[in-house]
Amino acid sequence: MTTIAPDERVLHAARIASGNASAEESVRTTLARIADRNPKLNAYRETFDAHALAVAAALDRAPASAKAKPLAGLTIAVKDNIATTEGKTTCSSKILANYQSPYDATVVRRLRDAGAIMVGKTNLDEFAMGSSSENCAFGPVRNPHDTTRVPGGSSGGSAAAIADSLCDIALGSDTGGSIRQPAALCGAVGLKPTYGRVSRYGLVAFGSSLDQIGPLTRSVRDAAAVLQVIAGHDPLDSTSADTPVDDYLATLDQPIKGLRVGVPKEYVSEANDASVNAAVERAIDTYRSLGATIVDVDLPLTDLGISTYYVIAPAEASSNLARFDGIRYGYRAPLSRDEDLFDLYAKSRAEGFGAEVKRRIMIGTYVLSSGYYDAYYKRALQVRRLIKNEFDTAFQACDVLLGPTSPTPAFEIGKKSDPLSMYLCDVYTVNTNIAGICGISIPGGFATVGGSKLPVGLQLQAAAFAESTLLRAARMLERAYAGG
Amino acid sequence: MTAAHQATSESIHQTATIARTQLKVGLEIHVELATRTKMFTRVPNVAHPDYYDAEPNSLVDPVVAALPGVLPVMNRRAVEMAIMVGLALNCDIAEFSKWDRKNYFYPDLPKGYQISQYDLPLCGDGAIDIPTRDTATGDVGTRRIGIIRAHLEEDTGKLGHELPGGHHYAGSLVDLNRAGTPLLEIVTQPDFDSAESVVEFAKELRNICRFLGVTEGIMQKGHMRFEPNVNVIIETTDGHHFATPIVEVKNLNSFRSVRGAIEFEHKRQVEEWRKTGRVMGRGMKQTRGWDDVNLVTVLQREKEDAHDYRYFPDPDLVPVTVSAEWLESIRAQLPELPIQRKKRYMESYELPAKDAQKLVDERDTCFLFDAATKLSVMGTHGGGFGGEPKAGYAIAKLLLNNVAKRGNELGKEIGELGLSAAQIAELAVMKEKGTIGAQAVDPILAALATEAGASSESVAACAERLGLVQVRDDGQLDVWCDAAIVAQPQAADDVRNGKDAAIGRLVGHVMKLSGGKVDAKSVNERLRAKLGR
Repeated sequence: MTTIAPDERVLHAARIASGNASAEESVRTTLARIADRNPKLNAYRETFDAHALAVAAALDRAPASAKAKPLAGLTIAVKDNIATTEGKTTCSSKILANYQSPYDATVVRRLRDAGAIMVGKTNLDEFAMGSSSENCAFGPVRNPHDTTRVPGGSSGGSAAAIADSLCDIALGSDTGGSIRQPAALCGAVGLKPTYGRVSRYGLVAFGSSLDQIGPLTRSVRDAAAVLQVIAGHDPLDSTSADTPVDDYLATLDQPIKGLRVGVPKEYVSEANDASVNAAVERAIDTYRSLGATIVDVDLPLTDLGISTYYVIAPAEASSNLARFDGIRYGYRAPLSRDEDLFDLYAKSRAEGFGAEVKRRIMIGTYVLSSGYYDAYYKRALQVRRLIKNEFDTAFQACDVLLGPTSPTPAFEIGKKSDPLSMYLCDVYTVNTNIAGICGISIPGGFATVGGSKLPVGLQLQAAAFAESTLLRAARMLERAYAGG
Repeated sequence: MTAAHQATSESIHQTATIARTQLKVGLEIHVELATRTKMFTRVPNVAHPDYYDAEPNSLVDPVVAALPGVLPVMNRRAVEMAIMVGLALNCDIAEFSKWDRKNYFYPDLPKGYQISQYDLPLCGDGAIDIPTRDTATGDVGTRRIGIIRAHLEEDTGKLGHELPGGHHYAGSLVDLNRAGTPLLEIVTQPDFDSAESVVEFAKELRNICRFLGVTEGIMQKGHMRFEPNVNVIIETTDGHHFATPIVEVKNLNSFRSVRGAIEFEHKRQVEEWRKTGRVMGRGMKQTRGWDDVNLVTVLQREKEDAHDYRYFPDPDLVPVTVSAEWLESIRAQLPELPIQRKKRYMESYELPAKDAQKLVDERDTCFLFDAATKLSVMGTHGGGFGGEPKAGYAIAKLLLNNVAKRGNELGKEIGELGLSAAQIAELAVMKEKGTIGAQAVDPILAALATEAGASSESVAACAERLGLVQVRDDGQLDVWCDAAIVAQPQAADDVRNGKDAAIGRLVGHVMKLSGGKVDAKSVNERLRAKLGR
């Protein structure tokens, strides 16, 4: 079996904080690597070389007290649907191609305050709608393990960047799997925190009741360190929780005695790639060898997740994306003399949005329409409640749920041309968002497909605000796989 | 009776004789709440007096402009103000209510949706009694108006075609200062049967809101906007009833236009029925606007092309839960309302209903009255009146007679003259004690309240300056009375012989000698004593 060695960048941050490493040198190395690799991967839409070097140099010169920050000097890649005052915030959409945010998202502010240095913005599926990072106004992102393949999505740029060491840490957003699935396909760690654990202020809304920002990293420790910084109540986001933030790092290396690992039988499906099921089997064996109890769990509503998700998320999106109307900012279509306000809206939006975004706006508008609301939107909310109840019951019997992140390893660019097959990529991840609980994808091995060695991800899920348990359980497996 | 069904004969609307027509009106009112900041963000609110004159688009932040990534955060003070209005209208306050999105595109609506409350409003099911005046007799009664609901939402921006300074602009301009102002929408039952009663209610509601301090209620600034739903019940001489289709008249922002639009609709709907025979039914509702120049309503849209607003719960906001403690703390903030004050004035001060009503009709007058009454029985003025009841009565009369008269001369409301409660109290007490005579009140008021505003001079100093302080020296009074008797022997004899009316000439003489500085009552008594009457 292949061992996977985690790369714990927080150790590097500690060296920079103590003056034993140079942030500027670290930034230079990262920028050089980006310059070399990004033309092939298209992970970054833009980089902030001068800004990053200036911040790094200032950090190196700062007194020891000012350097003592948890993420000192770590380079960070930010998904381009998160508002930053540096550069543009495009959501990989033509409609925001030239949009510059006058404010930083709360997470960006917190990361800057923690010493992280923003090196650039990463590509995504337009407005985070997709599972392959092909729906991107600035070209598809490519998987560093095989550039003919997708990196997953929608946080494909962040996943490719973190997996290919084009940054120390990366931020993504996850509405139905958009952090975890690309992390799985690129061989990274991807954490989707509990809904409300991390402020959404500054995240360009897709499905507001499902969206969460989270880290993509090369180790569970880094994911814990980033969460430590970004978690907590934000007065600018009334859906962010008041629940106290645990000290994730303090307990990370303590294995959980008597850990109960639930394995839903619905997650080990014939429809999965054999390599995926094999990775889950190996994880079960490993946990067992670590003293954990394996619990059989039933989640019969798993299959309803995708259809529930594709009512709720587009409904919210259809409303969230109404602000892109060509009036105040963003793309405005040129009009002829005889065209009026309706044409301004219709043409700006028709020309500014890509096909997948328009498809979801239409679905969302439809399910909220008078006469259809009860049959679709209201019904979906009822199913959502049932799915949530199902998880609540499951978490009485186990501490974490184990399964695959994605049914398959990375697929070839252009391979999934019909929307439905693309939607099914998220079958194991959407329910985490629907239930509002937390989930993480960690590297679980490799599959050899057509001569390429492709990563396979494992997903762990835990109850709402049980990130501490989730991260410790993930760390147990990570350490075992690293041979530690 | 199912009149509409019976009256299917094709031309009844053309041939029938109308016995009477009865208006039926329900009202929607939008009140801009004067919180310091907007409904869902901390940028200042244009409906707050400090920001009335803000430059266009100066009250805008990323949330107001609906920049990508921003989120709304509820202004608790706006909810408190809405609850205060709800309590004043005797509504049930919902323990649990929520926010919904009303989706439509318009350039004055930055998010492409308005945050509102759809199926779970903050306030429901209330009623208030409004004063009614019989125009013939002047009698004051009350009428009960049911409140269906009151919910909170955010206002939109404004579209215009003029640049600051009034210069024409070829395109449309958007001003987002008003976007996000907290807006309370109140919906009444269709309990009105005349334009007059709607205007009475509108005025009473404005007054209540001003007493509550939730708005200054400046109509020209759009602080309150009215949308009456109007139809007419037509009764024919053969006993049939026909209800005309309901018309909603949008966005009226003066009492005059409310009255005009309803009266016009009353007439128009009867004429329309005569022509078409159309009666109320599904899909018949029309929206019309009021043309303030030609004094007519104009069709805006038929219900068939009504919007589908695709309401759904706003996932960015948590539901509003009103705990018993919170509700009680809001209730404790409620000031005494006009109708309660009126009752108190009638009971405690024995004021006639008409006077009590006048006092509560204007918030500032009312506040001035209460403060002056309290001051007049306190501290320095204590003892001027035999307690508060008498003081209240005297001060009410002083305000409604003398001060109101001065107000009329200057074209101002009583409360707008700038006179302080201390001045009013002092004036009333001085008059009561006889320090000044009744005839001195008006000149003093004229000196204190001027075009330019009010003087801060004390009433005592003013009376002194004008030489209007009464002489209380009995010796001096004796001298003037004796002089009058000597100067007017005929009148003195007449009084001695029982012709009471003749004493007026003697009193007048004394007043003249004293330069008006004596109290006519004391003069009268002294003269009578001297003349043995």
